[in-house]
Amino acid sequence: MISRRGALVAGGTGVAAVAAGGTGYLVATHDKPEPAAPASVNAEGKLLWRNWSGVQTAYPSARLAPKDEAELALMLKTAAAPIRPVGAGHSFTALAPTSGALVSLDSMAGITGWEGDEAVVLAGTRLGALGPALAAKGRAMANLPDINKQSLAGALATATHGTGVKLQALHGDVTALRLVTPSGRVIDCDATREPEIFQAAKVSLGSLGVISQVRLKTIPNRRIRRRVWIEPFEDALAKAESRWAEHRNFEFYAVPFTGLAAGISHDETDDPAEARGPDQDTAFLDVLKGLRNLLGFSTPLRKAAARALLAGAKPETAVDEGWKLLSTERPVRFNEMEFHLPVDVQLQALQEVVAIIEKERPDVFFPIEVRRIAADEAWLSPFNGGPRGSIAVHAHYKDDFAFLYELIEPIFRRHGGRPHWGKLHSLNGRVLETLYSRWNDFLAVRAELDPEGRMLNPYLKGLFGLT
Amino acid sequence: MRRAIVLALAALLLAACGEKVPPAPSPEQALLLKPADARLAGLYETSCKACHAIPGTGAPLVHDRAAWDPRWKQGEAVLLDHTVQGYKAMPASGQCVACEPSDFQGLIRFMAGREDPA
Repeated sequence: MISRRGALVAGGTGVAAVAAGGTGYLVATHDKPEPAAPASVNAEGKLLWRNWSGVQTAYPSARLAPKDEAELALMLKTAAAPIRPVGAGHSFTALAPTSGALVSLDSMAGITGWEGDEAVVLAGTRLGALGPALAAKGRAMANLPDINKQSLAGALATATHGTGVKLQALHGDVTALRLVTPSGRVIDCDATREPEIFQAAKVSLGSLGVISQVRLKTIPNRRIRRRVWIEPFEDALAKAESRWAEHRNFEFYAVPFTGLAAGISHDETDDPAEARGPDQDTAFLDVLKGLRNLLGFSTPLRKAAARALLAGAKPETAVDEGWKLLSTERPVRFNEMEFHLPVDVQLQALQEVVAIIEKERPDVFFPIEVRRIAADEAWLSPFNGGPRGSIAVHAHYKDDFAFLYELIEPIFRRHGGRPHWGKLHSLNGRVLETLYSRWNDFLAVRAELDPEGRMLNPYLKGLFGLT
Repeated sequence: MRRAIVLALAALLLAACGEKVPPAPSPEQALLLKPADARLAGLYETSCKACHAIPGTGAPLVHDRAAWDPRWKQGEAVLLDHTVQGYKAMPASGQCVACEPSDFQGLIRFMAGREDPA
């Protein structure tokens, strides 16, 4: 999709001072240095843990890697609090950091059995490994998120989702689960056995205990056709609703300072496989960064150059099994805020987000991801009570991301948005209570299963309003 | 002309004396590679393999000496620190929570094709 001219732009460097919103704003037009690095080992000799983007850090007193559920139950009884389960560390919020025990389920991975077409899956299984394991049986997950490095437990805990108006977030496919509480009690639950715990635990931020395994609905492993194209942002807005209705999966990226959007659709097909080809997203990002570096001082020039470079890009297409196409490699790290909004205000909120970024923050270059997710019943699911439209705003991991809180979050909140649990936001306690009808029911279940709060780190205490 | 011949001979001599670098594994071979040690193999399967066994992820492919040798020259201490801290596209700890520093060292050696660091 990206031309050689684009690669030349991507290599550009320089420095420019620009006027933005009437105030001078310095655009650093060269690669910024790595963020300050914490010590690899602290004074007590404990090894550093960092999340994927590097923004969350901790020095856990213990790292536990139980090999099975029995060992997990034993470990939880005596582990140093706060006990925090962690998967791949893809959450941007401080869900995982702890000075106590960090629990990894990496040794509890794989499919242990089948009940009809439902797979019994150990919760430490990485999504990227689950795809081929299900495919070996001719089955697949109905949907996948943009990244597939996460553990299944981590993805469920944070209501991780893909896109598609008829497709629920990943936890919507869970029909039963086993929860090990901090006291070592093992609870089997589903829609009829311990139904309240079931609806609380499906999305529970690792705060009720540790989920050891789940039973997952699956679908036949079909080939799908992936299409990627560039078009004017106005066209993307005008056609978004019809495309969500038309395609199995549809999302688009609004690309600030270009006047363009990138659409991505996936639809089932019987066509023979067509190779996806090498990653183009990284080159696309490099072009956008290069345009910022060279032309960040002038939005009109930047938009004109972007259109010249990108608007005529040839659409991409590929055909393969869904688990190979629905997720994408993301070699460029970033920080991210994503809110889930009522669908009728999603596109209005998106336009406000793009407008304020283009007015106030010429240093931003990452595309903004726009998706749609079907409703489900989990108590802390952002999709509880109705479908939602999500908007995700990113900042390169070396770049300042304070604007997410200062400029973007107020727009999302004004439109009734609920935050993605694993992505940056500042909401807690009383605010969240107004957004979730079962908030206090969830807190009651949490208090029953973990009365001493051993699963709660300072972040979770604040989030739940327990400080 | 004479100078060019001397330079060419010197280059040939250096190449003959230099270490022979084995070819990079094919994508299919890369997927099958794993450390001989059972603990390291388990850690590798759940963490490193997701990127280092798949061409095009941006990570140097397992046993691809041409990709690894420039990194290896930085020294094991630097590679270990980059692993713990995260470096460019590489996430901190390679997303291996259960890994100890000695595990990282073993995994780096394995992926770099340097199980025998001598």
